Amino acid sequence: MAGVYLESRLQFLRASQNADGGWAYFPGKGSWLEPTSYAMLALHGTGSDASLDRAWKLVRSWQLPDGSFQPGGEVKEGTWVTAQALTLASIRGVNDASVRASVDWLLGVVGAEHNMWTRTGSFLHLIKARLDVSHEGWPWLAGNATWIEPTAHTLTALKKIAGGYRAAEVDRRIRDGEDLILSRRCTDGGWNYGTPNMLYVDLPSFPETTGMALLGIEGRKEREFAGALDLAERFRAETKSSSGKAWLQLALRCHGRNVAAPVESAWESSGPSSDVMLAALEALGHPEGNYKLFRAEGRA
Amino acid sequence: MNRRKFALLAGAAVVGAYGGTKLQKVQKPAPLSDGPAGQSAVAIIRARSYSDDLAARMLEGIRQCGLDVRGQRVLLKPNLVEFDPATVINTNAAVIAAAVEVFHRLGAAEVQIGEGPGHRRDTLDMADDARYRSTIPKFERIFTDLNRDDVSAVKGFGGEPEFYFPNTVLGADLIVSLAKMKTHHWAGATLSMKNFFGVVPGSVYGWPKNKLHYYGIPESIVALNRLFGKKSFAIVDGVVGMEGNGPIQGTPKPAGVLVMGSDLVAVDATCCRIMGIDPEKVNYLRMAADLGHVRPGRIEQRGETIASVRTNFALIDDFKDLRLA
Repeated sequence: MAGVYLESRLQFLRASQNADGGWAYFPGKGSWLEPTSYAMLALHGTGSDASLDRAWKLVRSWQLPDGSFQPGGEVKEGTWVTAQALTLASIRGVNDASVRASVDWLLGVVGAEHNMWTRTGSFLHLIKARLDVSHEGWPWLAGNATWIEPTAHTLTALKKIAGGYRAAEVDRRIRDGEDLILSRRCTDGGWNYGTPNMLYVDLPSFPETTGMALLGIEGRKEREFAGALDLAERFRAETKSSSGKAWLQLALRCHGRNVAAPVESAWESSGPSSDVMLAALEALGHPEGNYKLFRAEGRA
Repeated sequence: MNRRKFALLAGAAVVGAYGGTKLQKVQKPAPLSDGPAGQSAVAIIRARSYSDDLAARMLEGIRQCGLDVRGQRVLLKPNLVEFDPATVINTNAAVIAAAVEVFHRLGAAEVQIGEGPGHRRDTLDMADDARYRSTIPKFERIFTDLNRDDVSAVKGFGGEPEFYFPNTVLGADLIVSLAKMKTHHWAGATLSMKNFFGVVPGSVYGWPKNKLHYYGIPESIVALNRLFGKKSFAIVDGVVGMEGNGPIQGTPKPAGVLVMGSDLVAVDATCCRIMGIDPEKVNYLRMAADLGHVRPGRIEQRGETIASVRTNFALIDDFKDLRLA
């Protein structure tokens, strides 16, 4: 029996599901794929099958003909949330043509800076930033530059399907994406959104993006990112940001760190400003939560 | 193209500031339009410290500009892009609190605050760091995280068939750009017009809103103001601005002013002159000169004169040629 911390968050998620089956960022608003995916992961295996089936039906209705997913009902453009839909498909054991279309779309997307212009500029030291542009990574939207967060989400998704459809290319992109994350580490040892240096000034890392980056490189040998987990533990202890704490808790647990369980406090709903994604992330990162769904277990 | 220009632009492309296709546009600045007919009023009001009576100062400036907000739904859009206690990235909380009070006193039907930070997910945590939650009464009740608001499509923005904006922004009668007076390492300066980057939703375009960078920073600034400028008013927090490597890593620069007006182009041009920057050399202002007034003869300065408050902001090497004679 889960304690009040986990159960109150799961209960909040159950209560805030929209009539269309999805979840909004905040109760009473329209459904979006991102909060829906985290709510579904948090509720996975908790006896909420009917509501998760409704949510999955909604998510699938957001797939576009090119295999990508739109981030919500209003937005008719495929984005990085395609990775989150792929993660959900994998966890639900779905592996059909539409899932393979999503894989194709993700494998077809690379960061726009991975081109001749910027690689040449980098080689000639003409770019006013210390930045490795040799990796492909993933952008928020096709045609844009690579950033840490969409790369991390896509790595989580692709690791779920590794060894199956287009195995060699999936493995190559996973390795390259992880290398990109490792190359974009800030000098303080963590990660920000993806620009560790600008105009030769080192930029600081942030708690939430450090957590996401660590999830993206889950499965790599710790010596390749020495000190990052210690920094993550320090961030987690020091940051005021609930979202930052939640991402770090999830990442640290996935990396096998023995993170202390949070204090047994009930979810305090603040009405319309209650953060659905935060509740889901906090539930996922609980010792009895579904954090293992983010692990790349089984990957060769 | 010289090495310096390529370096700047290539670096920007990597972090998403310009695409390679934008090089030509930077080499050949747009001709300066005479702007719309008539003149635009811009008020420069002294405020030497955040402990001054900012509401009274703001009221004075708004009245000098002749703004009527009675019965309107007003959205205050501060600049909360990141937080660093060592510098002054954000619109000061005291300025926002004063604006909430002033627009209520002026008869607005509703005063909301909205922002969609460009780099960080936890908007409320940053608002806490920037002392918004502790300074602005009932902050959480009147604040919307524009990154995660519901959105609606707008046709034709930025050459896209559809571009998505937060419903809170689209539904406002008046958007008040509560910007910070800062230099900017790609745009030259970031003032009331660039502040509209924060209305683009991260839930669609990410953190940062890289789509705007690829469309082009000056192009995006102009497009956002073409869309929202007519229902906007600007109040620029220049009590303490930022110079040097802005908008994040610069250093504090006291200018002791609030600058305001309904013509955001004229407000930004005036701010530039106060900062010792020639607005006619700032690319986004040249490109926006059909939307408002850049030339000094077309801006009716009210309150203080530019000469009496001018204080040169330090510029990074790439923008030294923007210095006003």
